[in-house]
Amino acid sequence: MSSALLRALALGAIAGIVAGLFGVGGGVIVVPGLVLWLAITQREASGTSTATIVASSAAAMAAFGISGSIDWRAAALVLVGSVAGAWIGAWFAERVSERALAITFALVLAAAGIRMVI
Amino acid sequence: MLEIAGLIVLGLIAGIIAAALGLGGGIVFVPALVVIFGFDQHIAQGTSLAVIFPTAIMATLAHSRMGNVRWELAIPIGLTGIIGAVLGARIALQLDADLLRRLFGVFLLILAARMVWHAWRVNDRSEPTPDPS
Repeated sequence: MSSALLRALALGAIAGIVAGLFGVGGGVIVVPGLVLWLAITQREASGTSTATIVASSAAAMAAFGISGSIDWRAAALVLVGSVAGAWIGAWFAERVSERALAITFALVLAAAGIRMVI
Repeated sequence: MLEIAGLIVLGLIAGIIAAALGLGGGIVFVPALVVIFGFDQHIAQGTSLAVIFPTAIMATLAHSRMGNVRWELAIPIGLTGIIGAVLGARIALQLDADLLRRLFGVFLLILAARMVWHAWRVNDRSEPTPDPS
């Protein structure tokens, strides 16, 4: 097997465990993994990551769904909002400093993280 | 009624952040459902995945049309990703909700630190890269 294939397989396993364990997509692992380990562009890494998330989120969703751990009504409502939000976000990204946005959001995440740990 | 509006607004904010910062929705959905809406950690994670899955399909179609998907990498990553995700989900479902919530909190703190570090290093005018994780 080529080393790129081995790296891809290893990356998928790590990202999949994180996705299943924490109920996230795994992009936070896949995107930097593709850029740093497989030397592809950020744009291709984003696109490739979304395709892998289809597979990992389907598998993790099935496991949570079987155990009755999904609130489908809440999921539908959040989905409606997020589709609209994606359009607004793309517009926003063109006009706002990414650094300011990233630091502001990181602080919100850190506050939520501390709240969840305590 | 208030809860319905709140959940739609949560999706809206998560969608904006995801598209503008290239971050996934999951790291917004899970803490918001737990901290603001009082969801059990397991239900928050399962619900997050139920939003991520259709979002990822739509985003993949858009990226694929623009030629941004490297399928020779996406397919092997997705294959071991399925195995890893089932394993991770089974571990999560075995864990006590309080312990899982604390682990998630630590995960968020690591991500927040990484974001600040990156924001400092990366050129401010760099291009944002959306993905629906």
